[in-house]
Amino acid sequence: MIQVFTPLFILLGAAVVTVVVDPLFRRVGFREGSGIFASIAFFFALLFLGVEALKPPKVIAYRIFGSESPLTASLKLDPLSLYLSMIFCGIGLAASIYSIRYMILERETGLDRYYLLLLTLIAGMMGVTLANDFFTLYVFWELMAISSYSLVSFRKWSWEAVEAGFKYLLMSSIGSLMALLGIALLYGLTGSLGFDALQASLSSGKGLAADLSLALIIMGFGVTAAIVPFHSWLPDAHPAAPTPISAVLSGVVIKTGVYAMLWSLFKVFSPSLYGFGTVLIGIGVLTMTFANIVVVMQSDVKRFLAYSSIANIGYIITGIGLAAYVMRNYPSEIGVAMLALTGALFHILNHALGKGLAFLCAGCYIVRAESRDLSELEGIGASMPATTSAFGIGLLNLAGVPPLSGFWSKLFIISAGLAIPSDGVMLTATAIFILNSVLAAGYYLWLFQRLAFKKKAQGNSRIKEAPMLMLIPLIILAAACILITIMLNPVLQFIQTALEVVLG
Amino acid sequence: MILHELYFAASLILIVVGLYAIMSKRNIVRIVIGLELLTLGVNLTIATMGLRIINGSSSVDALAQSMVAISMAIGAAIAALALSLAINIYRHYGTFDVRKLRRLRW
Repeated sequence: MIQVFTPLFILLGAAVVTVVVDPLFRRVGFREGSGIFASIAFFFALLFLGVEALKPPKVIAYRIFGSESPLTASLKLDPLSLYLSMIFCGIGLAASIYSIRYMILERETGLDRYYLLLLTLIAGMMGVTLANDFFTLYVFWELMAISSYSLVSFRKWSWEAVEAGFKYLLMSSIGSLMALLGIALLYGLTGSLGFDALQASLSSGKGLAADLSLALIIMGFGVTAAIVPFHSWLPDAHPAAPTPISAVLSGVVIKTGVYAMLWSLFKVFSPSLYGFGTVLIGIGVLTMTFANIVVVMQSDVKRFLAYSSIANIGYIITGIGLAAYVMRNYPSEIGVAMLALTGALFHILNHALGKGLAFLCAGCYIVRAESRDLSELEGIGASMPATTSAFGIGLLNLAGVPPLSGFWSKLFIISAGLAIPSDGVMLTATAIFILNSVLAAGYYLWLFQRLAFKKKAQGNSRIKEAPMLMLIPLIILAAACILITIMLNPVLQFIQTALEVVLG
Repeated sequence: MILHELYFAASLILIVVGLYAIMSKRNIVRIVIGLELLTLGVNLTIATMGLRIINGSSSVDALAQSMVAISMAIGAAIAALALSLAINIYRHYGTFDVRKLRRLRW
């Protein structure tokens, strides 16, 4: 059954081949070659995933090595990993098409390394969702992490990128090591690392050591997910990276942290036994409130979008926390937990599309205006109508304006929070959630009107529309936003099947 | 069981020393050394967890051994990347002192 993991092997294989073929492309003067090659690899990986998603849902496990059950490293494929892999691969495809023209416009060198790292970054994220034990998960996790450190500091001639890369590396490695320590404690407690075996042996309480490893895992994966006490690398790292990488980092890399947290919490520790729901609600509420207050003070468009990513992580974590809270305190209300988790998982998709789109559009503005300052970008939208329409769709989706899908995911989380009116914790969290959503909608629309409609600053008149090759991914992502809004039902049904795997 | 506790104590000391070095040192190379100590501490914990002592005879779990080996390789990759960034920081600022950096504050 190894064939179902073809997309992973396509990406890893293409990463190796890119380095070999790039010198050949350069010799014939075809500088776009390796970018086109990487885009084709992403396209085929996405195609394979799509074909797999159309088949009836099932869980496939495949052992990489080892024979008996505790001594194995294995991969799995279930609807949840398929769903997330498709999001990761889709954003990777958009970023890779965008990079073809962008990297040449920015006169970057070392394109072979760039596409190698982009491919391994997406492959690492896919591997995290496909892992069936903590050992495999950690290996793919580090593949993703090391690629993203290198990509953040890719522009090593700028002080900003080098510093941000170092800060990111330091904080994120400490986080990964803390998660690894938690995993080691779990291994010491149970003698196994497979998710199924761990779930079986942790189904009765294990006392202090299990709680400690739970805390270490939330903290460790939380650094990559940028939950609030550990978020400070994100607003430096995301703006310093090349724009397509910012889109990938903000759109999907932080979601990998959320997935790792979600999977290890719901699959390994059962929410009804360990009371982490309240903690997660607290973290989520703190994260979104802090980020939403700080975001308004930003004057750099990429920093603005980076902070709003932290706020969106807060929404997702709150949704997950509400589900865990309901499962612990109201075991009969499983439907409410399902609703909250559906909202959280759906918001992962909406935020990935919306934020990816917003970052790529911001990149178009930055390339043309050669500035990241909001006051210098004012009114640039009038000269670049196609980019601005895509930017508008992305921001409206993020703001949660009704017919678009971003509205529905937030609505699901809110209605789950209001489902049990007698519970004070859930009501308070939901009230703060609603306030934050309104504030967020306000500043997204403010950003849009400032960039699109405000009176032109001087010297904006000679700005041209972005090149065609950079517009293609914008159109794809904007179309995906609208398509998901139209096909709301099938997508939600897919998420619900995926959730049945998590909740059992 | 005294062997286990000794190893645990050693790995705990390594982790604490590593975290202390990262938090308090000003020199980037020392910070990277602190990160390495932290990695060593975590690796030692995994290796200790794989040590099984049943009726006086000890055995080791192959999974823990292979995990430590791979984790060491990953740690080496991170250290290499961190040091290459340190070189680039030196090229920009002519110093290894983190206080001189513009934005590296926590």
